Amino acid sequence: MRTSVHRRTRVLVVLLLATFGLSCVGSSASAATISIELCAVTGTAPLPGGGTVPIWGFGIPAATGDCSSATASLPGPQLAVDQGDLVTITVRNALPPGHAVSFEIPGVTFDPGPADAAPGAAVSRSFTAGRPGTYLYQSGGNAGRQEAMGLSGALLVRSSVPGQAYGTPGTAYDVEAVLVLMAIDPAFNAAPDTFDLQNYRATYWLINGKGYPNTTPISAAAGQRVLLRYLNAGYDNTSMTLLGTHQQVVARDARLLTNAFPAGTETIPAGATEDTVVTVPAGSPPSSHGFPLYNRQLHLTNGPQTGTSPTPATGGGMLTFIQP
Amino acid sequence: MTRRTMPRFRRVMVALALAGGVAVPASLHASALPPDAPPIGMICTPGTVAGSTHTFNLVAKSGTIDTPDGNSVFMWSYANADAPDNGHFQSPGPVLCATQGQTVVVHLSNTLPEATSIVFPGQDATVTATGGTPGLLTTEVATSGTVTYTFVAGQPGTYLYESGSDVVKQVEMGLTGALVIRPALGADYAYDTGTRFDPAREYLLLLSDIDPDLHHAVEVGATYDVNTLRNRYFAINGREFPDTIQDNGSALLPNQPYGSLVRIQPNTATNARPALVRMINVGAVNHPFHPHGNHTRQIAQDGRLIASTEHFGETIGSGQTEDYLLRWDDQDNWDPATNPLPVAQPNYRNLFFKDGNTWYSGSPYLGSKGTLPVGTTSQNLCGEWYFPLHSHALNEFTNFDQGFGGMGTLLRVDPPGGCFGSPTSTGLIGATLKSGAVTALGLADGTYYQVNPKTTTRPTATTAAQTSITVASAAGFPTSGPYFVRVDNEILQVTAGQGTTTWTVARGQLGTTAAGHVTGSTLTALATDWYGAFGGVPAGSQNLKVLYKGRNCGVTTTATCPVLPSNFPQQTVKVCNWTIAGAGGCSNATSTGWTTLPAPPAQPQAVGSTDLSSTWTLPGPADAYIGTGSYKGQIRVLVHTQRFTPTAPVAFSTWGDLMKIVYDAP
Repeated sequence: MRTSVHRRTRVLVVLLLATFGLSCVGSSASAATISIELCAVTGTAPLPGGGTVPIWGFGIPAATGDCSSATASLPGPQLAVDQGDLVTITVRNALPPGHAVSFEIPGVTFDPGPADAAPGAAVSRSFTAGRPGTYLYQSGGNAGRQEAMGLSGALLVRSSVPGQAYGTPGTAYDVEAVLVLMAIDPAFNAAPDTFDLQNYRATYWLINGKGYPNTTPISAAAGQRVLLRYLNAGYDNTSMTLLGTHQQVVARDARLLTNAFPAGTETIPAGATEDTVVTVPAGSPPSSHGFPLYNRQLHLTNGPQTGTSPTPATGGGMLTFIQP
Repeated sequence: MTRRTMPRFRRVMVALALAGGVAVPASLHASALPPDAPPIGMICTPGTVAGSTHTFNLVAKSGTIDTPDGNSVFMWSYANADAPDNGHFQSPGPVLCATQGQTVVVHLSNTLPEATSIVFPGQDATVTATGGTPGLLTTEVATSGTVTYTFVAGQPGTYLYESGSDVVKQVEMGLTGALVIRPALGADYAYDTGTRFDPAREYLLLLSDIDPDLHHAVEVGATYDVNTLRNRYFAINGREFPDTIQDNGSALLPNQPYGSLVRIQPNTATNARPALVRMINVGAVNHPFHPHGNHTRQIAQDGRLIASTEHFGETIGSGQTEDYLLRWDDQDNWDPATNPLPVAQPNYRNLFFKDGNTWYSGSPYLGSKGTLPVGTTSQNLCGEWYFPLHSHALNEFTNFDQGFGGMGTLLRVDPPGGCFGSPTSTGLIGATLKSGAVTALGLADGTYYQVNPKTTTRPTATTAAQTSITVASAAGFPTSGPYFVRVDNEILQVTAGQGTTTWTVARGQLGTTAAGHVTGSTLTALATDWYGAFGGVPAGSQNLKVLYKGRNCGVTTTATCPVLPSNFPQQTVKVCNWTIAGAGGCSNATSTGWTTLPAPPAQPQAVGSTDLSSTWTLPGPADAYIGTGSYKGQIRVLVHTQRFTPTAPVAFSTWGDLMKIVYDAP
């Protein structure tokens, strides 16, 4: 879990824009030009309960243009830009031969240009981050196998209004938590090119690449507003239950809802993103760990299940807590 | 799972019960329901209310459920530890209802072999636990222990409660139930003033899914792999179709007390409120739920009002709740006589009847019954409509992969006001048929069933003092009890000899003077008594209404209806109560079984030559009025009309235009 107390510096610009009733900064003089370089590389990811699994993941190279200096992460690095920024993402393909990277960010229209990067090649995609929100970036190559191997991550476009995810009072927050939801079948990861996907059966259920108890709790004090940015990078529509309070669903797929609503359990479709705001209650949480946030489809296990009870008995899978 | 021979027998019983169109007798009901529980609709577990505290006693335990394909599945669930259930196993857990602002106390004792607990998703107030030990998600109770959860019921709505311990196993094993919080506004509101519903039509559909292999592994202590979970049974309120349409508390399903038949009537000016359908998905997969017949209006999700939208398919996520208002407006009023369908009806050769059975009435018109192929058994009572209400993930509309079954129930639409019937025969028990047939009573169409007062003659002359007279025939006159007859301008009361041709009479009655009468004088009854008999009314029907529309005319002979200017005949409409004197209690005009229909409107009513239409209502069970044995399913309605003008008696004739009953069939 990546949590950060939100800070903004371009207040003056925001005030100026607000005066003119503008919601999109477009080509405003404040817009920064952002260049991001990603490598699609092979690597490994630690599994909850021990061991590792081979992955294909995005990494940021330490030395420009040198993917040998990049480490694949699960999920990919969290990218954050400001609304209005002119963004260029260069993706270098260091995957094994036969795997063209097809970079995409659903909900973002790239400037015209090449779409794919062959192995050893790079592709640059440019766009203006016109609308704030939570976006999932990914490689759609090999008919979904690349996503299943881990080639996805979060792109946050921060609104021009400080502390408001979508520039509206209803999307104001004090604490931000990004939750990339995904699943892993190690048997697939071991043979990503040849595995029969009809036999795909996930055994690990992860938030930001981690299964409980390794997930990072979300720290927030009573009364604080927590922005939960869900990104479903898995293959399954995922229902997440928050015990002890409702979460206000404010946006779906990086678009503000006109009819925001409170949900106890929210189902995030595969490939979709959602933003919810939770005001941390003042009372005691149901658990000594805090307010549980967990996968209601009972994906609360880690790895193969061979006993008479699901394991680990102390809890696993897609589970974390909001800790006051 | 264990296969048993019993379920096969049970299937036969279901088939018989359906074929007979009868409900399972109440005495066979399982105990897991309050005594006054209705046969359909959501049932709240009473609990104990003291002041503003509502207390429930639950016990976590194991038991088995039956599935329609004859299997028996081992389950864990919550049971109601209070009377009348006393911990009787049930699946799903008891429906807990509380009112907004009440302090809800749930005592949980644990008879399972491992620690368990309850979490209350959607309750934003703090849930305080007393006793127990801290667990991963909430405070847990060890085997043989107890724990108490206390919270103030928050915003009104539909919620679930479920295990918060060893969740993957325990929720899958069935430790789930419904929690309904009613607004302080009133129990017939779901949320705010815009969500008022018909409290007689409040339904709960709690969806769940079951992998029986996993349950069997838990039963015998074997290992299992939740990563290979494959659901085979998909339940609504713990039952799979067709068990879902059995009544609440059916003895056929002793551990699955909750049915899920949804039953509505077209909305009318006097019945304008919609039904409320509360849906909860306690399963581990999302279920796309699809009502046939009409859109439903979703008003809430997870116990919170949302922007209202209409749906004929809506996915309800795992752990989510959704509330719907469902109404039926008979916009087109198709009627076989007055507003026929503008398209040809299907040839029944093109219709499919499952195993020779059908819910279809044989007629496309609501409230009508039609012709069905020879050999077909219709489960249709009075032309009501049935629509599937089911998961549209069609693998879930099965029992162990055989369709149809599983996560399906029926939406039943009754005719407006309920089932209705017309007389199938008439009985003249103090009258003579003038003209018309029983079919004249079926429609308010100006064709009449016309009867005259009974008459006979005196073969000999009568003196003013004579108290024993013989008559040509007693047929049609009452066979018991005192009654009046008229000769010329004198009224006589028959006090003995009823049913014979030799009557003992009191002379000069009702203000008249005893006088002599010539040979061949006509004796005329002062009243007409006749009844219409309705057939095929199922036992267990409720809320019987009787409608009669008729008039009285000034002579007994003409085809037109001469006006009665004054002194209108007095009409009393009665219904046969078969429990008073059995079949003989309604055999003649003075039988004791005839019960005057209660006001409003008050009786007798003065009815002249203008049609008067009246409707009487008998609320509650109608069983006393539905015949049994040789008179099975028969309802009799008597029309008694009498007229006497002291100074100048005038003949009259009673004309019935429409006689109808309306009732809620079981």
